[in-house]
Amino acid sequence: MKRFSKKAILITVLVYLLIGAFIAYKIANKSHLDISSTSPQISIEATKLIDEFVIDETTANTKYLDKLIAVNGTISSIKIKDEKGIISLKTDDDFGSILCHLSNEATKNISQLENGQSIQIKGICTGFLMDVILVRCEIIKP
Amino acid sequence: MKYFLSLLTLFLCLNSVQSQERYLTKNGTITFFSKAPIENIEAKNQQVLSIIDTKNGAIAISILMKSFLFEKALMQEHFNENYVESDKFPKATFKGAILNFESISNTPSKFQVKGTITIHGESKEIIIEGLFSKTPSQIIATGDFMINLDDFKVKIPAVVAKNIAKNIKVSFDFNHQPFQK
Repeated sequence: MKRFSKKAILITVLVYLLIGAFIAYKIANKSHLDISSTSPQISIEATKLIDEFVIDETTANTKYLDKLIAVNGTISSIKIKDEKGIISLKTDDDFGSILCHLSNEATKNISQLENGQSIQIKGICTGFLMDVILVRCEIIKP
Repeated sequence: MKYFLSLLTLFLCLNSVQSQERYLTKNGTITFFSKAPIENIEAKNQQVLSIIDTKNGAIAISILMKSFLFEKALMQEHFNENYVESDKFPKATFKGAILNFESISNTPSKFQVKGTITIHGESKEIIIEGLFSKTPSQIIATGDFMINLDDFKVKIPAVVAKNIAKNIKVSFDFNHQPFQK
């Protein structure tokens, strides 16, 4: 049996270490889900969404939290806070709406939107306070 | 005349009851920061709900844990899954009262808020100091305070314990507006 030279062993170990380090680096720096290029897992009407949270928050949490969802609705308010757009979608609920916090990219096009317009927005659902909250939202249409 | 006066008084009373008693924000900001040898840990939540009742200075704050956004996806994942277990405990809350609420003016000055903070299903009495100012159109509250992870039974695995400080600095910035339905 041919014995490996010390050099060969050293090189092999180094290569493995490098590969390991590279994978570790990749995992540690894995990027956030790219919302704009991902199609939503669930598509729903604004009123239906808030109803589900009002009726049974725990079940709705397991169903929607951390999921990318598309919501259809009518814009009831548009504002910009700290350079980020926030759009509320009207619901039949007395107090709550769907609050969509737009991504930086989507905020750039906010001036094309107006109250009363119907819209489809996708974003990550983070839960329900007075409103159902979606973050990192992108506008699907118009 | 008497009748008219009493009617007028009644009307005024009703009117004052109807005037704004609640101020709220749905997009308050809370950030937390922890200095660590390898990398600092920082996250921002811009969807905090805070309601102030101007009758008695009561304040109620609700925070969605999943709304804390980190620069690194992995950190966010660990935060939600391993540390605060946000599937089990999706919200953090604070309920309390602003002390000497009546003396808040339009120039920001220091006030204390006393109440109970609940994170990770664990509650703790706390006094927080912040800058408050009030005008008819808004009540602004800003400040920061430290929390200790042990108080809320947030466990940190031994492997990374060195990299994560037990004391975390929490900053808040709320701009409450009169509540209109």
